[in-house]
Amino acid sequence: MKALWSLLIGLLTLGLAQGVPADWPDPFKMQFQRLQPSAIQPTRAQLSNGLTVLLVEDRTLPFVNGRVYLRAGAIFEPEDKVGLSGIFSSVMRTGGAGERTPDQIDETLEALAASVSVNTDNLFTSVAFSTLSENLDQVLQIWADILVRPRFAQERIDLEKGRALEAIRRRNDQPTQIAVREFVRRINEGHPAGRISSVASVQSITRDDLVAFHQRFFKPNVAVLAVTGDFNTQEMLARLERALQGWQRGEVTLPSFPPPSPKPSIYFVQKETNQSVIYMGNPTVTAYAPGYSELDLVSRVLGDGFNSRLFTEVRTKRGLAYATGGAQTQGFGWPGFFYGASISRVEKTAEVIEIMLAQFRDLRERPVSQEELELFRNNILNAEVFRFTSRQAVAERIARTQMLGLPADYYEQYVRQIQAATPADLQRVMQQYVRPEQFVIVVVGDRRQFDKPLSSLGNLIEVPLE
Amino acid sequence: MKRMVWLILLVLLLPGALAQQLREQIRKYTLDNGLRVLMVPDKTAPVIHFNLMFDVGGVDEAPGLGGIAHMVEHMAFKGTPSIGSLDWAREKAALEAVDKARADLDRAIANRASQEEVQRLTTAFNQAREEAKKLALPNAIDQLFTNNGEQGLNASTGYDRTDYRVSLPSNRLELYLRVYADVMLNAVFRSFYEEADVVLEERRQRSENDPNGALSEVFLRTAFQVHPYGRPLIGSREEIQGYRADKAMEFWKTHYHPNRAVLVLVGDVEPERDIQLVRRYMGAIPRGPARPNLNIPAEPPQAAERRATLEYNAQPSLLIGFHKPTYPNRDAYVMDMIDSILTEGRTSRLFRRLVIQEQAALNVSSSSASPGFRYPNMFTISAQPRAPRTTADLERLIYEELERLKNEPVGPQELQKVRNQTRAAYLRVLQGGPGLAQTLAFYELFFGGYQRIFEEEAIYNTITAEEIQQAARRYFTPQNRTVATLVTRGGSR
Repeated sequence: MKALWSLLIGLLTLGLAQGVPADWPDPFKMQFQRLQPSAIQPTRAQLSNGLTVLLVEDRTLPFVNGRVYLRAGAIFEPEDKVGLSGIFSSVMRTGGAGERTPDQIDETLEALAASVSVNTDNLFTSVAFSTLSENLDQVLQIWADILVRPRFAQERIDLEKGRALEAIRRRNDQPTQIAVREFVRRINEGHPAGRISSVASVQSITRDDLVAFHQRFFKPNVAVLAVTGDFNTQEMLARLERALQGWQRGEVTLPSFPPPSPKPSIYFVQKETNQSVIYMGNPTVTAYAPGYSELDLVSRVLGDGFNSRLFTEVRTKRGLAYATGGAQTQGFGWPGFFYGASISRVEKTAEVIEIMLAQFRDLRERPVSQEELELFRNNILNAEVFRFTSRQAVAERIARTQMLGLPADYYEQYVRQIQAATPADLQRVMQQYVRPEQFVIVVVGDRRQFDKPLSSLGNLIEVPLE
Repeated sequence: MKRMVWLILLVLLLPGALAQQLREQIRKYTLDNGLRVLMVPDKTAPVIHFNLMFDVGGVDEAPGLGGIAHMVEHMAFKGTPSIGSLDWAREKAALEAVDKARADLDRAIANRASQEEVQRLTTAFNQAREEAKKLALPNAIDQLFTNNGEQGLNASTGYDRTDYRVSLPSNRLELYLRVYADVMLNAVFRSFYEEADVVLEERRQRSENDPNGALSEVFLRTAFQVHPYGRPLIGSREEIQGYRADKAMEFWKTHYHPNRAVLVLVGDVEPERDIQLVRRYMGAIPRGPARPNLNIPAEPPQAAERRATLEYNAQPSLLIGFHKPTYPNRDAYVMDMIDSILTEGRTSRLFRRLVIQEQAALNVSSSSASPGFRYPNMFTISAQPRAPRTTADLERLIYEELERLKNEPVGPQELQKVRNQTRAAYLRVLQGGPGLAQTLAFYELFFGGYQRIFEEEAIYNTITAEEIQQAARRYFTPQNRTVATLVTRGGSR
């Protein structure tokens, strides 16, 4: 079959050596200019209550999108109330607001095919809306009520707490979910980002806690709103003044925390499964510290895509995983971490751990080739145009940059450092910040089938599943 | 794209002249080899989103070759003679040596050769693989696109179709065409057996160690006893272990031709200029045979309820399905409306009843076209009980709501809400660049032309409460039902 196939192709392409017409270019020699995106500059304004607003008019579509950011991040939850921010954001949206009951809000928004959503991560809570411009006033009013006047109806608090408890009951169902949770917890040990909710912490959450969290962080003078779409800027500002009147200024103090201080070890979770989930790494630097850009670049050499070291060694050459990779995370406020991960058949667990560790070590011991560096540098530089495919995404990025107190040219600085990086720079940051002998390693798998006991690879701590 | 959505919205609100305007924006070309090319200009950013979709998927596989379409999808990333080989003449010979070593080994195993002989041939096979690997760059296609700023380079295989996606800066159009025309002409399945191991890992990850994947496999096997929708899309473990490079190449050669594909470009394109380049490259691929008659057997009507349980190391979960026709049968559109009525948004019937009122479920969701759409398929409902409530409790509540749908007509307000939601869902799909490219490819390949996208809203808008009631009565019957339950292993629930 194969011979016949080759013969056919030979005939069809007139016997050309490589099966393509002679005038086709060698794809590896094709040269292209780096495209410069046309930057989108939002208009900046301030409401009388101190709210910063970033606006981009875009009259091509009858839509308006907005998102306001507040520093109500999950890390600011009280220590004994972990899980509060998740309940908070659910019930803020679903627990009624202003004059409206929970059902009235849902029914009105669904009838208008509009949405208001509340999301919380470690850094921010954001409250967003999306609507046809003809329904703007109505939707803006609901959004403002949810933002400023949430009711936190008790029955919706009970509902969301019950769902959160069910999610806890289910959180050991998938090995990957267990591994990610344990890794984030262990690598951030000593910092609030490493806390996880428990039945007790969720059960202890009361309506007073939600109201207090809202009062503590939701102040206009420390918030930034990004709004884009079909509106006139001056009219939009007047609408926002009206919708948000009564939202009072106030002082917000953010506590500071010591950086994570993980205890290097192999954390092992026994789970009956035919694959092991492996995560390993250590905390490094914040996203604005010297060394970050180089760490980001070398982490791509390690684990970003088909041509990365982990992918090549674990997957392509040996077929030991479908999912494998790594990255340097962006740390804002506390250091991010440099990590690698694989999901591999259980009887090769120790072998895969050793292959992975060898990749980290090699990047410390030897400079990467210039070619390898250029591949990932080019990817970053050439992909810059994709940062400007959505006006709302651009405005939101600028809002977050401001909220975090980063310089406005934060990304440009990063690009300059990426452009300047040399193989020696990458090796230097690897040696300075990435220490395989001090890694946090998390393994979820079935020890009865391991190729070697994990204790032969380092200090082993078994983590029981609740 | 943004312009597109604006226009489509008006299409929904004011059919007629504006629909015409949007259709005029989309350019369609058919090359001599049968490849259909759609271009949608959008100047928001200097990027192009590509989608190359073939009408080939899991249903096209011969029995015993389950998952080969998915395997071939992986192999199409492995390059060509001019992309990824260090010395093609030598590599070609080395790959033939791998095939021969594999065949020798298979023959010895089939003939029950001695253990030593099998061991010797295994070693020879592994050595041949190592020799071939030395002559190739492993991931050259990815390298070309990575170097040029790709986003979202990926592919996916369904029961009905396979698509290849990537987004690139718009001045890389020629690079894209050079690579994919070459892949369609000359794909080389290098590192085949390493990749089969990767697929085995993928199977473990998605279908064996994920409770949802495991339950879904049991459910489909129970619901479809004849039609290939009942087979695991990724293949069984034994099938994957049995993959051979020549069989995979034969599947590729049978199916992946320009006359069975659509290429969609959304973004910074100038159709009249860019089609010249598309013709130069994609036009060089010869037309292939039409889709062979595979005699895919129809699933006979189900005569009685089917039930299956999966004992698994996870919390309980429920999956219910009902057989139903697919598009363009009008009932398929009616079932889409029922899908929204039951689970779309917080005011939907099942969400409100199971999650909010009864507090019996963590979540509930449904799908009106599972697991494919080319052949009669299923309406499915999935729910996870909140302890101490059980899957039996959820079943009872779900059937009560389905009975209500059969017994009472949906009110005008609810019907209008669902139409609004259908419209909003439509807009969401059409907003994103890659999503739009995929949707257009889909409609062009399977629904009788991309224009069909503009006609569906009219269908949804004419569906009546009575039709919804009739469809509920027709399909939501006990004998048409399949129920799969995940039961906690060793647990009391």
